[in-house]
Amino acid sequence: MAFQRRQYWGWIFVLPAVLFFALFSYFPIINSFIASFHAKDILSLKAPKFIGFQNYIYIFTSKDFLNSIKATLYFAVGCFIPLVSVSLFMATIVVSLRRFPKVQNVFKMIYYSPAIVSGVVSATIWLLIFDPRGLANQWLNFLANNPTPVDFKWLALPAMARLSTIIIYFWKYVGYFVIIYFAGLVSIPTSLYEVAEIDGASAWKKFWRITVPLLKPTIEFVLIVAFIQCIRTFSIQYVFVQSGSPREPINVVSLNIYTTAMQYHSLGRSTAMSVSLFCFILIFTIVQLRIYRSERVSYV
Amino acid sequence: MLVLIGRLKKNLRLIVSIIVLILFAVAILVPIVFMLISSVKHPLDVFEFPFRWIPRRLHFYNYLQAIAGNDQKYYFIRNTFNSLFMAGSVMCLNVLMASAAGYGLTKFRFKGRQVVFVLILATMMIPFETIMIPLLMLTIRLRIQDSYMGLIFPIMLTAFAVFLMRQSILTVPDDYIDSARIDGAGELRIFFSIIFPSVRPTAVTLAILVFREAWDNLIWPLIVVQSEKYKTLPLYIIRFLDEKYTNEAALMAVAVLATIPMFVLFLAFSRYFIGEGILTGAKG
Repeated sequence: MAFQRRQYWGWIFVLPAVLFFALFSYFPIINSFIASFHAKDILSLKAPKFIGFQNYIYIFTSKDFLNSIKATLYFAVGCFIPLVSVSLFMATIVVSLRRFPKVQNVFKMIYYSPAIVSGVVSATIWLLIFDPRGLANQWLNFLANNPTPVDFKWLALPAMARLSTIIIYFWKYVGYFVIIYFAGLVSIPTSLYEVAEIDGASAWKKFWRITVPLLKPTIEFVLIVAFIQCIRTFSIQYVFVQSGSPREPINVVSLNIYTTAMQYHSLGRSTAMSVSLFCFILIFTIVQLRIYRSERVSYV
Repeated sequence: MLVLIGRLKKNLRLIVSIIVLILFAVAILVPIVFMLISSVKHPLDVFEFPFRWIPRRLHFYNYLQAIAGNDQKYYFIRNTFNSLFMAGSVMCLNVLMASAAGYGLTKFRFKGRQVVFVLILATMMIPFETIMIPLLMLTIRLRIQDSYMGLIFPIMLTAFAVFLMRQSILTVPDDYIDSARIDGAGELRIFFSIIFPSVRPTAVTLAILVFREAWDNLIWPLIVVQSEKYKTLPLYIIRFLDEKYTNEAALMAVAVLATIPMFVLFLAFSRYFIGEGILTGAKG
């Protein structure tokens, strides 16, 4: 009897979540797959027409989508490498101030602060810094000691627009990863380092022989999360294009999905891009889930 | 002598570390300080050369302009309310639904429990960008596009939240629940007065995380909302940015105003932001 009641209540507690995921996750992703095989204008009332793989053939032969893949990879790799390495470097320095926990906290808060500034606001601030009259040009000219100021065209040149978006993203998220690394680093017992010091190990050796192996779960976690996050970038690129930067170098896949659907009204092509993005990210999320399942990372 | 050199070397390392930390901190803070300073500068002084970090004159009129908007319609106020309302609702619904699901998945042995959990976890593999357009079509079909319901419902829960609450509720001893049951407490009562209080730290961490994400969300409001009265702050900023008559100082004033709520939250709950709990906060 009691068992019956419990079983019944279990379902009641789970039901809202089940309904949510059925309606707002599974239903749309299935629709995404179906729509990607059809030709359909979002605004028209005509029924979608089945066209097989034509949307996929179109996007993978059009320069536009291939360019998006290139832009996304440029951005993701360009962001990912400095993000995961600089944050680890800074975290090890913060951790080394063990004797001054208050100082550690101050630095952690400062580094983390850009993460509370929303994506759109960060992009807006940096738009002014990268303005031809802005701080970036002023300071770089000063450092380069240019007799006549040079405009580096942070927002206008393709390569510079790419670099600018990477700088903004790095700025916004580096502190967040410092915090994550910090949490992993403090759990490494200091006695290990002391023993290594007595044995005369160099800082370099200590880093590779103690820190990296013991931090492996955290590092794996950061690598995968940072990469997926970088691939999904949208806000900064959207604000840039909206304020007049060239679209092509920063037309990342999620921006392209948005434009194809909302401006060109092509549901089929946009969902074909969505499905392609899904398949690409799937590889990484499977690894991520494995990390979650293995529960090697300590949660809360 | 050797001891002295050793001590010097150690102190030197400390000094170098602190210098590196400070330099990095300055680099991180420059844009934020730039935003604050520019927001009280005269519009003509934002791009002055060289840039003055102490404004010659304070110009608070920027804030008035930011709030009134170029069309003097004060959409800022409505849009701020929308952002707060959306982020607040998403936060409450998320924590409530995730904890309920976590409770159901851990403390009851119903048939299909494992399947349900795996199916929920599997949705982590679906990035929002890949379903946003079908979600829009769905909201149109449900006739909730361009409304609060359309803003809130499709983003009110994440698999990660369920996962997090499940992990946390697993640690609540079954004895608590059983003894409450013997005392005659109903299931809802057990959920609200035993389960919920024992996982409060996790719930707060999750709540903050969800609030920030909803507050930060650009892409979903951008797609689902068209009319000014349902727009959120990021959309207000983008509109303001696009308008020809916007001056940069007023733009920075909007940026400051849009950051204040998160900043207050950050100061009040900083240990939830930068404590160890945030580790779980990382998600795709």
